[in-house]
Amino acid sequence: MSSTLLQALLSGIASGAVYGLIALGLSLQFGVMKIINFAHGSFLMMAMYVSLALAARAGLHPLLTAPFTALVLFAVGYAVQRWLIDAIYRKESAREPIGVLIFSTGLWIFLDYSFLALVGPDNHSVDSPWSNDVLVMGDLIFTYPQIAGLVFASLITAALVAFLRYTRTGRAIRATGQDREAASVLGIDSARIYQLSFAIGLGVLGVAGALLLPLYPVNPFVGDIFGLRAFVVVVLGGIGSVAGAFWGGIIVGVLESVGSQLIPVTYAEALIFVLFLAVMYFRPSGLFGVENE
Amino acid sequence: MNKIPRTLPRGAGLGPLALFVVVAALPLVGGNQYILSIAVLTLLYAYLALSWNILGGIAGQLSLGHAAYFGIGAYTSTWLFVNLGFSPWLGMWAGAALAMVAAVIVSMSCMHLRGAYFALATIATAMVLKTLVENADALLGGPRGMEVTLLRDAPLYFQHTRKEFYYVIALAFTVAALLINRAILRSRFGYYLAAVRNDQDAALALGVPIARYKLMAAMLSAGLTALGGTFYAQFVLYISPDKVFGANLGVVIAVVCIIGGRGTLWGPVIGALLLLPGEEIARLVSGGMVGVDMMLYGLLLMLVIRWEPRGLFAVFEGWRARRADAGDGAGVIPATEVQR
Repeated sequence: MSSTLLQALLSGIASGAVYGLIALGLSLQFGVMKIINFAHGSFLMMAMYVSLALAARAGLHPLLTAPFTALVLFAVGYAVQRWLIDAIYRKESAREPIGVLIFSTGLWIFLDYSFLALVGPDNHSVDSPWSNDVLVMGDLIFTYPQIAGLVFASLITAALVAFLRYTRTGRAIRATGQDREAASVLGIDSARIYQLSFAIGLGVLGVAGALLLPLYPVNPFVGDIFGLRAFVVVVLGGIGSVAGAFWGGIIVGVLESVGSQLIPVTYAEALIFVLFLAVMYFRPSGLFGVENE
Repeated sequence: MNKIPRTLPRGAGLGPLALFVVVAALPLVGGNQYILSIAVLTLLYAYLALSWNILGGIAGQLSLGHAAYFGIGAYTSTWLFVNLGFSPWLGMWAGAALAMVAAVIVSMSCMHLRGAYFALATIATAMVLKTLVENADALLGGPRGMEVTLLRDAPLYFQHTRKEFYYVIALAFTVAALLINRAILRSRFGYYLAAVRNDQDAALALGVPIARYKLMAAMLSAGLTALGGTFYAQFVLYISPDKVFGANLGVVIAVVCIIGGRGTLWGPVIGALLLLPGEEIARLVSGGMVGVDMMLYGLLLMLVIRWEPRGLFAVFEGWRARRADAGDGAGVIPATEVQR
């Protein structure tokens, strides 16, 4: 393998890990509540702006903003689920809550354009010497934000998987996702589980935003690209499978970065969607999905 | 969910349609070109939402990729016109035919998917098509798109400098789509589709050939949407992959229908009447502050759906039912029946 390709592969894995982290929260919400949340990309954009404000105004190291963005987004997620989405969700008995889809479309437009009105359309990136530092290993070059993205995305995914698997709350979340009625019978308060899942999903997204900012400049519409891609990642990995979302992210990252070495870059974007359609056709439960709906 | 309806008179529901046409003729009186162009777009979206309604509403298959069919219609007729001199009046049927073929392909690969999976697969299809068109530099102009050859006042070539021309056509399109929706809602075909929407497994168990009916609904919906694409190309006289294949467009078409009330006859029209002028009013109110108009638009979407997730049509039906209740206290015809 030539070093260009190896470089592309490893860079793809690094950015793919961050894509996976972005998709993690979506997968959790999707798996537990079966809702399509189109505002996910907008929340990512929000996280990136929070991180930017902390780094630029308070002079924090970009990585150190992550706990704060996570907290802010966790609170936002809790509030949005508790006071906005819950009431719509309850009004609908159907298995596929279309109302939430439309609501989140409205929220997506609202958030994107609020930020446009507040901060203007320009790209902003974080100004820190750290984000341009590189690590050279033979022919290969990595930036520190890439390495940090890979390391922290993997750690957080592992932590979330462990949380869902081994803690009482985590098991309650999974139980609600599998069968809401049965979980209720067993004394699980589904409203609380939904608030928690939504908040955790956005909290993880907050970290992803802080990790993404040194890699990618932020503007009010940055979420549109990453939001749609997050859906692809979630379905590739298998809806509701948190670890699957992570691997799905890595596949998309590698495909994008290696693909653009082999075929014209304008086609690389389509490659992701073609793979998506192929997986949908041959394995609708996703590459790593276990439960079939 | 749906009861078996009593036999309705043949002309039932045509009264509101006549009223709609009369009211819709009003913008023509003033002749204000600005108001007319908003009215044209409103009718176009009403038409698109009605086309979407057949698959997304009546049959309950949440397609978010209708931009694909819209784009196929726009590009087919424009390519035939620019390169071969075919009138778009003919080209639009070629576009519709092509969109129906595309619908067959999409259906074969996506129809076994349900709900959210189906929705995402349809978006992905539209994105693949968009990328292909963006890369077809020589044939379709790539990301820059195509311009429709200007002929100025050439009604035979689907072009005119007056907005009234487009308005009358858009109105005719919308009325045709309303009649098609009405015919479906009253037919056996429509009941099969409703059965698929309400409980696919039960419908299958009762011997409804699900796959065939879903395919028919998808083809009809796609063909009608493609005609709308041709209309758009001729109205704006310029098309680009972003404008006619964008993921946003596919979502907006669905949103208009759902906000109004999916699966109902008048819901898609109500949705368009609220959202399109709503966008313009928001623009006026915000006084040109960047972004504020769309903020208000997003807020409007959230408020409507928070108020009634089934859409505005359900709100009107609720009012009517309550009034009828207060009137005679007798049994009220359920909302789902009235629209037929």
